[in-house]
Amino acid sequence: MPAIDFMTVSIIYITAIVILLVGYLTAVSSKDIVRLLIALELMFGAVFMSLIPLFSVLPDPAFGVALLTIFASGGELLVLSAAIVIHDRRKKSILTSSVSIGGDNV
Amino acid sequence: MNVEMLLLVALAGVTALSTLGVLLTKDNFYAAMYMTLTLVMVATIYAFFSIEPVFVLIVFVFIGAIGIVTVAIAATYRHGPERQFSAFWAIPIIVTAAVLFYSIYTYVLDVPVYTAFMTLMTHYSLKYSIENFITTEYLLLLLFMTSLAVLLMLSVVNIYRSEN
Repeated sequence: MPAIDFMTVSIIYITAIVILLVGYLTAVSSKDIVRLLIALELMFGAVFMSLIPLFSVLPDPAFGVALLTIFASGGELLVLSAAIVIHDRRKKSILTSSVSIGGDNV
Repeated sequence: MNVEMLLLVALAGVTALSTLGVLLTKDNFYAAMYMTLTLVMVATIYAFFSIEPVFVLIVFVFIGAIGIVTVAIAATYRHGPERQFSAFWAIPIIVTAAVLFYSIYTYVLDVPVYTAFMTLMTHYSLKYSIENFITTEYLLLLLFMTSLAVLLMLSVVNIYRSEN
């Protein structure tokens, strides 16, 4: 059925890994919560990208995973939006440096 | 390397470059715009393989709702460099874009390149149909996911109210 070969799969997975790594780097270097939200959306984009080869062998489960990813992304947006608003009200700032609870000191 | 592979490499390259834009820009709003461009490119790669249902889901739900809300939040909590040029530059940009679109459109209608391109794309498609997905077990999955999403929303509303 599909015209998807090794080269195509390699290009797709390399792009997905690039998106995921940039998402990780953005999350690690983010100074505010909004940038963290953007980084998480990028990571979901990488998940979508890596699903393409699955459509050539298991199309229905791949579509199910795509739906799950969209639901998870929607939930993540909802929770992070509420977190941004609440954090802004409490601290009058959205900087991650103003979060004083949790985390480790290296 | 054939034409389809070159097109895929070009799409993947633009996707990777727009992703790097998220990392390199200092303004949250521009970062959100680059993120949206990345997601549009991912959806375009789905369209390249003719997986239309996921293309529609990504464009209308993932970008149309989630991406736009992210852009709105980033625009609200924006800090960094402001716009350095006048908004009136939009007028020549729109005119140029319209002329370009019209030229390409008329070119495609006159020359059979479009037919050859569509033949190539049809050869490269994964031919996914959504009819096979609509079965009882997958509908049950959708029902559970909707219930979980509603529960999540109720929890967030509860947290928000308790804050007030």
